Amino acid sequence: MKYAQLIRLLVGRELTLRYKRSVIGIGWTLLNPVLTSAVLWYVFSFIFASRLPSGQQFAPYLVAGILLYTFFSQGLTQSADSIASNGGVLTKIYVPPQIFAISSALAGLVNFFIGMFPLAIVCFISGQPLAWTLPLVLVVGLALALLTAGFGLALSIMFIRFDDTRNIVNILLMILFYLTPIFYPASAMNSTVQNFIYWNPLTSYLDIFRWAFSNNGTPTLFNWIYMSIWSILALLLGTYVFKKYWPRTVAML
Amino acid sequence: MAVIEVKNVNVTYRVLMNKSGSMKELFRDAIRGKARVVDYVALQDVSFTVDKGEVVAILGRNGAGKSTLLKVLAGVLPPNKGTLKVDGKIAPMIELGAGFHPEMTGSENVLFYSALMGRDVKRVKERTPAIGEWAGVSGHLNFPLRTFSSGMVARLAFATATDEQADVLLVDEVLSVGDTDFQEKSRARMHELINGGAAVVLVTHDMNAVRTLATRAVWLEDGHVKMIGNPAEVVAAYEAN
Repeated sequence: MKYAQLIRLLVGRELTLRYKRSVIGIGWTLLNPVLTSAVLWYVFSFIFASRLPSGQQFAPYLVAGILLYTFFSQGLTQSADSIASNGGVLTKIYVPPQIFAISSALAGLVNFFIGMFPLAIVCFISGQPLAWTLPLVLVVGLALALLTAGFGLALSIMFIRFDDTRNIVNILLMILFYLTPIFYPASAMNSTVQNFIYWNPLTSYLDIFRWAFSNNGTPTLFNWIYMSIWSILALLLGTYVFKKYWPRTVAML
Repeated sequence: MAVIEVKNVNVTYRVLMNKSGSMKELFRDAIRGKARVVDYVALQDVSFTVDKGEVVAILGRNGAGKSTLLKVLAGVLPPNKGTLKVDGKIAPMIELGAGFHPEMTGSENVLFYSALMGRDVKRVKERTPAIGEWAGVSGHLNFPLRTFSSGMVARLAFATATDEQADVLLVDEVLSVGDTDFQEKSRARMHELINGGAAVVLVTHDMNAVRTLATRAVWLEDGHVKMIGNPAEVVAAYEAN
């Protein structure tokens, strides 16, 4: 592919830039989810640990959730922002703008993979072996990257046109955090909330991820199909919206 | 054979009268019936061709549509009407150093900038020392760009942008950069590129450059072509205006 080299450079740039001027460098990638997990673990393990199905551990359950949610929320905002923040380039040199959104999603994917090292350590400490289905996390990661890039592309148009989209997206992401079984098991909620959780696409990604990584979830065939549908739909939606509105939006950069 | 073919190109910007920068404001204005969209015509029925080896200069006052035209030629701004055909590799010399990042090193920036212009990363990697040398920043290539002086940044950008001969050269006022010595050097290289067989579109306010470099001139006024032809004649008419 013609733009493979450029995408590789962009992903590398995004990864190095984010933590370039900090002392612990790439450690920030790990510190943020690890600290969040530590706090949530301290607060909620008393309430929810006993409510997990037998054989599942709360600590890896939680860290996996934080890791996947961080990937989605950071990837989404960054990929939606990437086109606006690279407007200086896009109004001078022709490159398909979609490349920037895709690279941001891929950078999120790389961070996600790096985050699996602390997750593996947490699994080890809590005495949970990694599952033989581990390679399937690649599939989940890619599917989530597609979802992120798709929504990111659609949102990037909104980000350029309306300044307050950012705030709205942040609020929606916060709601999404609580409607995804990250620090609680879905079974601990009442049936209305469970319904929301069930149809929340992120739940499917997360369930599959936990199961594939350390056999810490119970995804069904529905989750696999639901995940695939959302990834494909998001990508179609993103490319469609972007193609349609970009010609008018580029003049606003 | 025409390398660039612009046919009846129209570009219209849509401008919201009460600029609604947020959804909140748009919503409020829509309810009060105040959101009005006004079309601003930037280019109107513009047609011309540029052959291989030709240098076409674009003249016109500020706001005549020159920058818009360059954006259309660069492929960044799709025209609302009309067709555009550009063959071959484009080197857009419009505000050099687009995509430069202060936190990345000199050589990383050279690489990224070149990749944006569609050059082969592997070849650029080999060329980077030579590019740094020519720009006079060899010793600094491994330091972040924020440690460069603005003159060094401009020289590095120029050296990178002009390192490869392209088929189509779009030049916006960058005939030379830097201090006196470097200006001489960069002007020479610019002339070399312009006369190197590419199809060149040159936007400039420097009438001397138009007379000496251009083979044809296009005079834009309020978005349409007012006059097109021999550079000396067009410049005379433009200056008389």
